[in-house]
Amino acid sequence: MRNYTITLFLFIVALLFSGCSSKLRNPAWVINEVMVLNESSYVDDYGQRNGWIEIYNNTAKTQDLGGRYLTNDRNNPKKYPIPRGDVLTRIPPHQHALFWADDNPFNGTFHVSFKLDPTKENYIALYDNDGKTLLDEIVIPAGILADQTYGYPQDGVKYDEEGNSFATHLERVTPSSNNAILEENPKIVTLRKDDPWGGVMTLTSMFVVFTALLILYLIFNYTGILAQRMSQRKVAKSGSLSAVRSYTHLSGEVLAAISAAIHELKEDQHDIESTILTIQYVKRNYSPWSSKLQTLRHLPK
Amino acid sequence: MNSLLSIADNLATFWNFTGFANAEPGHIVMILVGLFFIYLAIKKEFEPLLLIPIGFGILIGNIPFNEAANMQIGIYEEGSVFNILYQGVVQGWYPPLIFLGIGAMTDFSSLIANPKLILIGAAAQFGIFAAYIIATMWGFAPNEAGAIGIIGGADGPTAIFLSSKLAPHLLGAIAISAYSYMALVPVIQPPFMRMLTTKNERVIKMKTPRVVSQTEKILFPIMGLLLTAFLVPSGLALLGMLFFGNLLKESGVTRRLAETARGPLIDTITILLGLTVGASTQATTFIRWESLKVFGIGALSFIVATVTGILFVKFMNIFLAKGKKINPLIGNSGVSAVPDSARISQHVGMEYDPSNYLLMHAMGPNVAGVIGSAVAAGILLGFLY
Repeated sequence: MRNYTITLFLFIVALLFSGCSSKLRNPAWVINEVMVLNESSYVDDYGQRNGWIEIYNNTAKTQDLGGRYLTNDRNNPKKYPIPRGDVLTRIPPHQHALFWADDNPFNGTFHVSFKLDPTKENYIALYDNDGKTLLDEIVIPAGILADQTYGYPQDGVKYDEEGNSFATHLERVTPSSNNAILEENPKIVTLRKDDPWGGVMTLTSMFVVFTALLILYLIFNYTGILAQRMSQRKVAKSGSLSAVRSYTHLSGEVLAAISAAIHELKEDQHDIESTILTIQYVKRNYSPWSSKLQTLRHLPK
Repeated sequence: MNSLLSIADNLATFWNFTGFANAEPGHIVMILVGLFFIYLAIKKEFEPLLLIPIGFGILIGNIPFNEAANMQIGIYEEGSVFNILYQGVVQGWYPPLIFLGIGAMTDFSSLIANPKLILIGAAAQFGIFAAYIIATMWGFAPNEAGAIGIIGGADGPTAIFLSSKLAPHLLGAIAISAYSYMALVPVIQPPFMRMLTTKNERVIKMKTPRVVSQTEKILFPIMGLLLTAFLVPSGLALLGMLFFGNLLKESGVTRRLAETARGPLIDTITILLGLTVGASTQATTFIRWESLKVFGIGALSFIVATVTGILFVKFMNIFLAKGKKINPLIGNSGVSAVPDSARISQHVGMEYDPSNYLLMHAMGPNVAGVIGSAVAAGILLGFLY
């Protein structure tokens, strides 16, 4: 039985850790959507049409793009330093920043120092403040049509489970907004469709609850056995009454009765006392007022 | 004459701002509910630490006022005092703090001494998912059903935490329902405990739990956190704080922190939580058909949780040797209404055998229920958020 439970425990642990994955992670910043050739799409604050690069904060915290670098040149990572100190470069969680590729950086923080070329492949990369650490990159294939964008259908989701890139031509042009417009929580939609009465959900959840508590049970069952053995060993070494108990497996009541009988017997041997009372003067030098111990603070517990 | 007219105008304006002018039947109904809660707490001593703040909160939340005037009075008016206090509920940071206190005051010894009782705490969580099924059948969306289902966990903070994430519009109804049924545990559970057990089962005497060493007590919160949170990270806020509080208690070197967590801190948060949850039942937003449905499903979920806990013990007994059988009267304490449901096991057990003390045994599944409901909340959050 014991071997069986140990095997069960090891099986569960192995099963759980087999889920540890080494798949590609989506980065904290994602170059999310890019328009290379803008002929009749959105205009910038100056009324001009240019290509643009949308960057997505793929984390649950506000991040600052200031001080980082955007480039379209593999050999020059620091081509466009994004200015520091602009509050607009602080991007809230899961929100976007839009940079105009107009080669006109004097137009403002969000106007980079290069243009995109629709006739050839465009490489775009975002580098960290050191100009060396690559945060994200994307390659836009040559020949992309005017007013069409290239990027990821789901914001910030770059790879599938096998590590293949999701980058593609997007159906809708969505600068500074979500590439996929979610009207409802997709999890809820799926559950409504696939599990309208919640039966599968109930079975799955109860399985997880039982697994979690079963693991706790198995661990504490064995910890308990181990702890009991250790304490029995300790008690046996001490040679006390508890040691007798641990060896004989007599109940507490029986041992208490035996102990009381022994105690009575011992008391009977001393029922005639000497009747001499000694009163001894105790000289007391100690006073709490002069005690060092009392004036020092105890360690906080 | 003009002065008299302006006085009359002023009085008319003043009248428009009074509670009398703005009262609706719903306000009166909710005030009566609040008074009933206070009555239950004081006269019947049903969970007074919760029902007094909630009951009085209901009175505060249902004082009618001119909502159009935007005077920043009501709990739903941004910037009002009650709205600021209510943020702890809406943002879900009161419940983890309550869990910190619960961890610091809970002794897991009975569970560590007899770890198979943990499984009863798991079985009782079926109440949550039964309620989920019923709620989806009654037309609630899956996220709403998940939030309603957690009432079956019999754990107020967990219910508030989950509903603030999954269905904030139902938070008031869910919280009131969860706390009401927790207070009514002595009324709801005993009939089912008697119905589902035989005379012989009710007098089963369980072996005295062994003494648990300090090392085991220290290991429990550490291992407990690592195992449960690895499996259900979405329950981290609750599980992390629960086990952290318990480590403060058991480590033996952080007595001051443990005392603060289980004393002043949990008391403060309980006051704020109870009062604001009560005040969130403002009649104009609370009295709806959905609220009544939530109450109905909540009652069913409590019953299912109690029943499954008891039946699971009976099922376990099939496989246990004669001297190791478990008294099924502790099955009800798999719901995490700590320690009320364990006390019910003790009371009902003593009715049939006054020398049978079940309290310590019942505390095992009871605290396992706290862990189980936090795990279940994590699962629902993972699936539905």
